[in-house]
Amino acid sequence: MTILVSRLVQAVVVALLVGAATFAMMRSLPGDAAWRIAAGRYGYDNVNVAAAEAVRAELGLDGPWLGAFLQWMGDLFRLDFGVSLVSGQPVIAEIGHQLGASLWLALAAVGLSLVIGPPLGILAGLRPGSLFDRVLLVVSTALKAVPQFLMALILILVLSVQLGWLPAAGYGQPRHFILPAFALALGLAAVNARIARDAMASVGAMPFYAFAQWKGLSRAQVLWRHGLRNVSVPLLTYLGLQFVLLVEGVVVIESIVGWPGIGHALVHAVFARDVPMVQGTALMLGLGFVLVNALIDLLAARIDPRGAR
Amino acid sequence: MTLLSATDITVLDGAVRLVAPVSLTLNPGEPLVILGETGSGKSLLAQAIMGTLPASLRATGVVCIGGRSLPAGDRAAFRGLWGRQIAVLPQEPWLSLDPLMRAAPQVAEAHRLVRGLPGGAARDRAARDLQALGLGAASALYPHQLSGGMAQRVAIAAARAGGAPIVIADEPTKGLDAARRDDVAELLLGALARGGGLLVITHDLALARRIGGRLMVLRDGAVLETGATSAVLSAPQAAYTRELIAADPESWSRRVAPSEAGQTVLEARDLTLSRGGQRLVDGLTLELRAGRILGITGPSGCGKSSLGDALLGMLTPERGQITRARGLAPTAFQKLWQDPVAAFPRTRPLGQTLRDVARLHAAPPDRIGGLLDRLRLAPGLLARRPGSVSGGELQRLALLRAMLAKPRFIFADEPTSRLDPITQRDIIGLLADLARSDGLAIALVSHDPVLIERVADVTTCLPMQEGRKSARDAAIRRKDRGMERPAILR
Repeated sequence: MTILVSRLVQAVVVALLVGAATFAMMRSLPGDAAWRIAAGRYGYDNVNVAAAEAVRAELGLDGPWLGAFLQWMGDLFRLDFGVSLVSGQPVIAEIGHQLGASLWLALAAVGLSLVIGPPLGILAGLRPGSLFDRVLLVVSTALKAVPQFLMALILILVLSVQLGWLPAAGYGQPRHFILPAFALALGLAAVNARIARDAMASVGAMPFYAFAQWKGLSRAQVLWRHGLRNVSVPLLTYLGLQFVLLVEGVVVIESIVGWPGIGHALVHAVFARDVPMVQGTALMLGLGFVLVNALIDLLAARIDPRGAR
Repeated sequence: MTLLSATDITVLDGAVRLVAPVSLTLNPGEPLVILGETGSGKSLLAQAIMGTLPASLRATGVVCIGGRSLPAGDRAAFRGLWGRQIAVLPQEPWLSLDPLMRAAPQVAEAHRLVRGLPGGAARDRAARDLQALGLGAASALYPHQLSGGMAQRVAIAAARAGGAPIVIADEPTKGLDAARRDDVAELLLGALARGGGLLVITHDLALARRIGGRLMVLRDGAVLETGATSAVLSAPQAAYTRELIAADPESWSRRVAPSEAGQTVLEARDLTLSRGGQRLVDGLTLELRAGRILGITGPSGCGKSSLGDALLGMLTPERGQITRARGLAPTAFQKLWQDPVAAFPRTRPLGQTLRDVARLHAAPPDRIGGLLDRLRLAPGLLARRPGSVSGGELQRLALLRAMLAKPRFIFADEPTSRLDPITQRDIIGLLADLARSDGLAIALVSHDPVLIERVADVTTCLPMQEGRKSARDAAIRRKDRGMERPAILR
């Protein structure tokens, strides 16, 4: 219960911070916002002073900041995110459209990373110091060190350009998922594997792990009944933190492969000074982080009763 | 018929022999106790017999169990015996239960997977086992909700669920108080009822007495003497066994306090202490006089060390007053630490450390030599580093260092809890001598009420404050969880 309350407070704080930050951004962006927004709407060749002034008046870009700020935050708490300055569509509709695409990509990436990372990590953690353990350490450290945009470019060069197996970009078919999901998953799996390996090594060294074997259980039974459950708690907790990495990755990868998701939209909104869109996407990502971690807290409390009261 | 026989068991660490060839047999209905101090090789011997030695060590010899002959070095061969032929009781019951599984399933899984009962029957059986141990209400609890004694009983039920006729228990009473110790002995003896075998490894003479049967005294990996437990303990043949028995606080004679009490060195009035928001000591009043020993006992986590910090002036009391005798320097109040190895700089020769302290306190040059004599320490030790002298010698050197500061009061915080019984008697004896000869006031902390009863002139027992137990559990839990949150790579 306390978990949920504290997460709820977090959600409100996130909303406040995102709202205030985007408002400040809107006010302090270099260049004349009215001109940029008008250009976004009508195209760079069609902007003139009249159009810019019309935008300025419409959006109240010249008004006193305090009144504008209060109205801004008021809208936010009525869950009215406003209208995209570029497309003229309600922000909420635009985001709803893009969120799905990103969600599927993120789920595919997390699923893939969980299939790759933890099993290898657990295997290494069962025999700490073995050749396999050391090789995995090197490989996972190297994979983690590769920035996600570079990973995506390498995969595109190798799988699409050289081998021609996969499309370099695109959206709509299952095969379009493979490349961006892998680009995201490899980095996540590298860390997952380390977490699982460390957790398995420390669980394997615990007296209860030895005692379970002394009771007469086979190695596989001990791993299945006592190992995995104990390894899952730190892994799960870390998964919540990984959401940050995931968002970072989604923003970068979506832009590279032209994925019509929320990360792609965020980048475009920033370039076009579409502040309501920036606010909407940032808020969605921030609240998503809180929601994911709340779910993970609940799940972890179910598995591990020691932290819960 | 012999249940288990082990022939010429040795344990080797590389080329170093830790256990000399030892042979033993275990007969139905007759317990065998292996007695020895820390480092005697008794646990290694037991581990070699069970096939649970750490991978870095090697064993030779032959173990015969249930009609099968196994080479002691072949670890994998023992795996099939665990739970089915040998029930291994863990040293630390609390840490030996899966923290994420309720008590009953930890017993039931052995009934199902080892004994081969169907799921429902295994659950019924586990419930009955726990009921029989007086744990009916605890079957749905997680290990962190159990007390140490309850965890011990759950572990015993889980270890024996597979139906193994031989029970091997390594230090089964570690950290338990006297009443709990007797309960555990009772339970272990219960294993013998149906013609089972029992092997108990311990340094605890009281437990050995309770278990009875035959006794084997081990020192430096070799058997010193064997015989009926009651006979060996009442009329030991080997000099070492006699010494071991004499070192047990139960056999100490009561210290006679000097008839005339010295002047008051330290006085605490209505002392109330808190640490980290937790009330530890509430309204304690005590007086320390020169030449007197104040004994302090109480369960772990009750604030014994914090009381020491307050008396030494390192912790400000929440309420109450501490008055130190006038004219004494702050350094006249010294402390003896629990872990002597951690109390010395690791990489410097001991002599250098001690000479620095002597210079700091302007002690005459022959002071160190004189104290070495009094504390029965060889001058050659000064050239060594802390890691290469024994724990007992190091604790005496720590005492020497404290004496260089010309103390009037020494707070000795569990100074012998990491030492074997014989060394413990030496150190406590030295402390008592210093109290008398130098007129020191000493506060001696120990978890062993018998030791305190024998040595102290006055005793204070610190009770566990309300709400402290849950705080201690929380601290333990935090330690556990720290283990499960590995450093993340980002």
